[in-house]
Amino acid sequence: MTSYDAIVIGSGITGGWAAKELTEKGLRTLVIERGRNVVHRKDYITEHKPTWELPLRNARLAVGSKGAEEYPIQARTNQFRESNKHFFANDHKHPYIEEKPFTWIQGDQVGGKSLIWGRQVYRWSDLDFEANLRDGHGVDWPIRYGDVAPWYSYVERFIGVSGEKLGLPQLPDGEFQPPMELNAGEKLVKAGIERAFPDRHVTIGRVAILTQPLHGRLPCHYCGPCERGCSTGSYFSSQSSTLPAAQATGRLTILPNSIVHSVLYDADKNRVTGVRVVDTNTKATREYYARVVFVCGSALGTARVLLNSTSSRFPNGLANSSGVLGHYLMDHHFVVGARGRIDGLLDRYYQGNRPNGIYIPRFRNLGDDASRREYLRGFGYQGGAGREGWGRGGSEAGLGVELKRRLQEPGTWSIGMTAFGECLPREDNFAALSDQTDEFGIPVLRIHCTWGDNELAMRKDMAASAAEMLEAAGVKDVRSYDAYQEGGLGAEPGLGIHEMGTARMGRDPKTSVLNAHNQAHDVPNLFVTDGACMASSSCVNPSITYMALTARACDYAVAQLKRGNI
Amino acid sequence: MNSDSISRRKALQQVAMLLGGAISAPTLAGVLRADTRRAWAPSPQWAPRTLSPAQLELVATVADHIIPQTDAPGARSAGVHRFVDTLLSDHYSTEERDRFLAGLGDLDARAQSAQGKTFIACTPEQQVALLTAMDEAAYPPVRIDAARPPETWFFRRMKEVTLVGYYTSEVGASRELRVNPMGMYRGDIPFPASGGREWS
Repeated sequence: MTSYDAIVIGSGITGGWAAKELTEKGLRTLVIERGRNVVHRKDYITEHKPTWELPLRNARLAVGSKGAEEYPIQARTNQFRESNKHFFANDHKHPYIEEKPFTWIQGDQVGGKSLIWGRQVYRWSDLDFEANLRDGHGVDWPIRYGDVAPWYSYVERFIGVSGEKLGLPQLPDGEFQPPMELNAGEKLVKAGIERAFPDRHVTIGRVAILTQPLHGRLPCHYCGPCERGCSTGSYFSSQSSTLPAAQATGRLTILPNSIVHSVLYDADKNRVTGVRVVDTNTKATREYYARVVFVCGSALGTARVLLNSTSSRFPNGLANSSGVLGHYLMDHHFVVGARGRIDGLLDRYYQGNRPNGIYIPRFRNLGDDASRREYLRGFGYQGGAGREGWGRGGSEAGLGVELKRRLQEPGTWSIGMTAFGECLPREDNFAALSDQTDEFGIPVLRIHCTWGDNELAMRKDMAASAAEMLEAAGVKDVRSYDAYQEGGLGAEPGLGIHEMGTARMGRDPKTSVLNAHNQAHDVPNLFVTDGACMASSSCVNPSITYMALTARACDYAVAQLKRGNI
Repeated sequence: MNSDSISRRKALQQVAMLLGGAISAPTLAGVLRADTRRAWAPSPQWAPRTLSPAQLELVATVADHIIPQTDAPGARSAGVHRFVDTLLSDHYSTEERDRFLAGLGDLDARAQSAQGKTFIACTPEQQVALLTAMDEAAYPPVRIDAARPPETWFFRRMKEVTLVGYYTSEVGASRELRVNPMGMYRGDIPFPASGGREWS
């Protein structure tokens, strides 16, 4: 069959949500995924494998090491290991051109990066939605927190989010399952920081990991490495949650191994009519048709598809009359913070591998004089404490029976935290089509993205404030760090894997691609709901906002379809 | 407070990653079934792919001095030498592999110079004395972020891979230490509640 009510490009976090919402609202929906199929449970091939069953003992496959030959970009992230390399794209198969250092971490399977995401979920606030309007960078968001709040709730009730309510205006509370527990080191540092800085808060991370059963999914069993896949469906992924819901309607078709070449456009009707795909195995080209198309291919993947969808009406890319498509690329800047040693607590320990850490919400530039700094926007911290393990033996003198006895007991406590900072939207951070093509005949992206003066000024505060808080909490031997190197790797754009902003929402069709409903200003039956739609970046992890915007856009699109408007 | 140099920080990060640093969640999990255990037992056909038989014996001997048999088996029984051969064959870059192999050669040269014979030919006491001297040179009593003497690279790497190989082996992870059990998370418990051992 080649005709459907709806086509969704991509099966990751937002593609899965679009599939669920559209099928549940009655649309026969085709989900197109460039990567291979990954079946829940069956294809989690390293899940619960003891380390000794992994030949390299779950080595981090760094750039240049054997095992990473096909992954010279993916291997830049610490997430890339022996146990989960099969959930990352082969860089030779999916190349791009870096005009400046930019690490594009890509999934290449059904489920996309929902299988390997960090699972931290934080609502945006009006501090974020009003940021562009307030300081003049980027275009004003066409929506406010009140527009999205009910959709955050809708999403949280379905995916399951555990966390603690704080009542902070800059980090709205959600519909939370009970929070995971802090460990003794984290409790000590929390007390110290909150005593020294009454306006700051240390809380357990808000995560899309269950602490109570939900919709047939089981609470977390604390095995630890979520990124290998989770057979109990305890963390949110397309496989555990949205795709089964879509499947249950009987209206879902998933087409893996099919990379979208372009979206088809009928200039007479001013409607998209479907997509052209290339079979990644046979290289054969096929077309599929639908009444509405949702592009959920990740910020850069989506930009690439739209830029490659040209016509006489849209010679520079579909729905790109504004010319901003591909521009205003953003990511969160991180790998900057501090760490140190916590003395004492040697009679305290923990049990189970908690796949979560601590979070310190934004405390800069909240609108009052006290929190104002010389740079714009703000940052939050993620981190955690723990007792040193046997690995410490590799940096201490000693060998033989004495060493072995010493390593039987856990070592001292240490704590570390890294900041995630907001990035300003800039026109000169962009992705465009190059004159090279991949093996499927699709032009590859060239990406040009750098941190600006505001990000670099913020980083100084991110390092200094982390150290200041740890020292105030009595942490010893505190060291700050900042991995950023101009023109080099370490904290380059993209590494945060929160890339967003290439097809931004806005009020004015002349300066934005999408309207308040993630609908293309230019083409009414074209929707973009992944990170591409973002007009600013906030400093919190973005995925739940993408999910909420997707569900909201699906609701709008189906209503418009029913009214015959699209 | 001070800022680490980038190269130093990177080196530390690499060590932390290799060793499963203090903060990262241990990756061991699961209850082993008997057939899984049998399947992973070293097969009689196993042969090194990078190390010569003499080098393999050298690695096993050094590893067993670093982590010897106590009430739990030591590094040799845990197959650390087989793990090292796997790392050299399937993971290390050519330069890194050659540097490690050169370090093995240098170890024999040190034994020759000190005792007039190969390392393996030395008595266990002589071997321990050689390794103890290398250990003291590799970890001078200085700040943890200070640069280590580059000529001690081999010994430090040998010690690291011994620890990784041993504590991620079944015997190291579950008999010498304790596998962190799945099922629940308790964030703040008395230390002895883990059986008085570190989670592997």
